[in-house]
Amino acid sequence: MTQDRFTGVGLGLRRPHLEQVAALEGHGVPFWETCPENVIGDGGRSYRLASAILDRDPVLTHGLTMSAGGFDAWDEDYLEGLGRFLVQTGTPWHSEHLCFTSVDASCLHELLPLPFTREAVRHTVARARSLQARLPVPLLLENITYYAELGAPEMDEADFITAVLEGADVGWLLDVNNVYVNALNFGFDPKAWLSRMPLDRVAQIHIAGHKRFGDLTIDTHGAEVIDSVIDLMQWTLRRLGRPVPVLLERDNHIPDFQALLAERNRLQQAYDAALMTAEARHD
Amino acid sequence: MTESRTLRLQRAMASLVLDWDEASLEADASLPARQQALSLADQQSFRDQGAALLTYRELARMSLVEPLEEMFPVLKALLDRDGLWDTCVQAFLEARALRSGHYRDIAPSFLGWLASSHWGQERWPFLLELAHAEILEVLVARFPDSDPPGGLHADPGPHDAIVLDPATQVVTYGHAVHRTRETAPVPEAVETHLLAYRDHQGRAQLLELTPGTAAFLVRAQSEPLAQAAQALHLDGLTPALNLLRDLHREGAIAGFQSAT
Repeated sequence: MTQDRFTGVGLGLRRPHLEQVAALEGHGVPFWETCPENVIGDGGRSYRLASAILDRDPVLTHGLTMSAGGFDAWDEDYLEGLGRFLVQTGTPWHSEHLCFTSVDASCLHELLPLPFTREAVRHTVARARSLQARLPVPLLLENITYYAELGAPEMDEADFITAVLEGADVGWLLDVNNVYVNALNFGFDPKAWLSRMPLDRVAQIHIAGHKRFGDLTIDTHGAEVIDSVIDLMQWTLRRLGRPVPVLLERDNHIPDFQALLAERNRLQQAYDAALMTAEARHD
Repeated sequence: MTESRTLRLQRAMASLVLDWDEASLEADASLPARQQALSLADQQSFRDQGAALLTYRELARMSLVEPLEEMFPVLKALLDRDGLWDTCVQAFLEARALRSGHYRDIAPSFLGWLASSHWGQERWPFLLELAHAEILEVLVARFPDSDPPGGLHADPGPHDAIVLDPATQVVTYGHAVHRTRETAPVPEAVETHLLAYRDHQGRAQLLELTPGTAAFLVRAQSEPLAQAAQALHLDGLTPALNLLRDLHREGAIAGFQSAT
């Protein structure tokens, strides 16, 4: 699934950086990730700057509120606009979260966990297939952080994700920070967890920062990525043995653009080092 | 047909986030599960994970409440004086009025809910105007971009009508809500007319209008400029035409077309 032009470590396109990024062609960022919900139907200066950047640079798209595992009817008008947007940006795939975000047409704007049950697997597989049929590019689903299981589980998270990805036959946007945070909160070994997973389905990786609040670690996207998560990214890349694009997510306490570029560069070095080791092993 | 367990679990989670108060959930986190007639095992799961579910509730509510606090600081200051901001937000959440998946629609959805529910407006008759004024510039700044209307000319004549830019709003408030601030959130009861528009850079601009100019800008959208000026007893058409040329140059007016 990975296309040659999408390798290395990209950044999320954020409003505070739009003026700078639009004015800077040689920024060195191999691709941007954008959230279509924040662009489609928008207007004004930020919209125009974002559109100019998306027209100029390689883009991956990442949705927030499709409620892939929910029950609400698809917003067909939005999906039509989304389809046009995906074709226009030239993204090789579109990702959504493996979660629900709305109930009875009421939008919660939070990534909420699906029950780890056989019924939820069947339902989510059908929804993902239905969504895929409406999109002009392949669909990826992303594993989320969760802080509680929804109801009495019939399987663990790893089995649930695997069953959905394989049942729906969709790609995986693997968020290594989410794996790490879940591992801390639920007490498992993230590498052992990943070893059980269908890594052949990974088309993209997300990486981000997190923060500890009391007994719970929260996926804040508001801090620098810690070394243990970078190590998990490198471990995964070596295991994959292919240059899957990695996206550094930063949604809160967004630093200035130069600081974010510096963090991206640090991750790019780790990315290159991991792939070099993988190549050496193959040789 | 019996609703699926998955749907009932999702409804229980939504109810935990939006409806139940923290104290009730601290006492028994299984209340939303029981309300959805979920099995004893599912109820137990809610009970066993009470602390984590309360954290979830806080996180989810934060993502809904933060944009409101950011967009309506003066309204929040006004209601906080009586400890009613949280009550207002809770009423909004319980009404399930947020239907859009666009994050930028959270504040306009809140405004729409204030308009339809009339919450607090018996006590504060200016409350809706205040909330509207707080997001007026954002509504204009982010109005969806579209192709400009066709067939318009740039120089107005007496027999023309005005075509506003689609993002432009001529607003009349019964109070000077645009002059409020967090430390002085109660507006003076004086009629106020504003023109909010987007300049050529795509940035929102706000202009205070005289009552006559505001009426002219509204009326001359549907009748010839000369007729509108006469009906409003404006002092000649030339100053009005000069103003319209300026507003066209600034981006507030898309252009002019024959009123017939």
